[in-house]
Amino acid sequence: MDFDEILSGGQQELRRGTVVLACLLLLREPGYGYALLDRLRELGFTVDANTLYPLLRRLEGQGLLASEWNTQEARPRKFYRISPDGERLSAALLADWARMDASLRRLAEGDMG
Amino acid sequence: MTTLTDRYVWAVLRAVPGRQRAELEPEIRALVADAAEAHAGTGTPEAAERAALVELGDPDALAARYADKTLFLIGPRLYPEWERLLKLLLPIVVPIVGITVGAATWMGGGTQVGSVIAASLGAAFNVGVQLAFWFTLVFAIAERTGSSAVPATGQPWTPDDLPHVPQPDRLSLGEAVASVAFGVFVLVAIVWVQLATPIVIEGTSYALFDPATWSWLLWYMAALTVLEILFAVGLYLRGRWTWAFAVVNAILGLAFAAPVLWLINEDALVNPELVAAANALANGNWFGVTMSITALVIAIIVTIDIVDGFRKAWRTSRQEAPTG
Repeated sequence: MDFDEILSGGQQELRRGTVVLACLLLLREPGYGYALLDRLRELGFTVDANTLYPLLRRLEGQGLLASEWNTQEARPRKFYRISPDGERLSAALLADWARMDASLRRLAEGDMG
Repeated sequence: MTTLTDRYVWAVLRAVPGRQRAELEPEIRALVADAAEAHAGTGTPEAAERAALVELGDPDALAARYADKTLFLIGPRLYPEWERLLKLLLPIVVPIVGITVGAATWMGGGTQVGSVIAASLGAAFNVGVQLAFWFTLVFAIAERTGSSAVPATGQPWTPDDLPHVPQPDRLSLGEAVASVAFGVFVLVAIVWVQLATPIVIEGTSYALFDPATWSWLLWYMAALTVLEILFAVGLYLRGRWTWAFAVVNAILGLAFAAPVLWLINEDALVNPELVAAANALANGNWFGVTMSITALVIAIIVTIDIVDGFRKAWRTSRQEAPTG
């Protein structure tokens, strides 16, 4: 197994879970599936369409997102936005992320605590 | 004409639980349309559609993620097939076994209605449990040994791999004509065998049916034949089986079988003179055995016909559900 392969595996593991958080944060503004996919990719989150769309449905099922069909444009689209529960979860996860980031920085700088 | 998108949507929806389908269909169509729009700059609308589908990827993988099932015994690769086949097999096998055992108990001298029903239900329950168990075991083994009805090609998925959306079966004119002709043939045969008295034993010819029964049976069968013909014509005009047709078919089947079975049980169907002559010739209760077998065959044929009607209606409803 060459280095690139190991790297992509490691990145995948590291990024798993950040997509959920990124979705919740992005959907503080209402958005629909494809636009969200585009936006995530621009931000450097590598996520497949066939992962993202079922994920949105799951988050909705868990009450973290709310959805609504927008029929005012040429084609109907399902718009998602974050729910109060989603706000709470994203705040907690973001705080967790910040803690881990701080810990990793300290480790990287040689401070073994 | 079905588009690639229709085929894609169908391929995803067939593999998700029924209650999710109605919700998912507009969602997936919107996603494909959005993606196609984003790829619109790349060439023809068809090319954009293809690119959108490639982006969404293998419909089975998408469906498995949507379904989000925790399947430990049978994985998402085999689960849809397991569900499909079991739903098809159980409603056919269980009633046939139940009715056959019930009929056998009845003819074997189980005169009490309660014992006949108990034997019938017991056998139906047993065969249902056994069938489900062994069937599931085979799938669980297949899941773990990696053998699959869908061979993994190792090739990346492309829209060309999409299955075609099956069209609901259109009944042919031939089938309608055949069932009308069959109804008329049966009626003519009944009348002929009674009035032309072709049954000859020791030089005496006999009518087949008990004259007392015949006085009303003829009119009953004639009316039933007319109804069967109307049914066949109606079915042809509708073009395919629906639940309503399956129910009417069941009623017609029972309307035929119930009086005939009752008459056989009461020894009131066949001309008693013919029974006496035949038994004297065979030196035993030859006619009783023959009529028991006849009753069993009628019960089985009518059961199969009724179940087949519901199976066709079920298949039609299934084919119509995913594509709306």
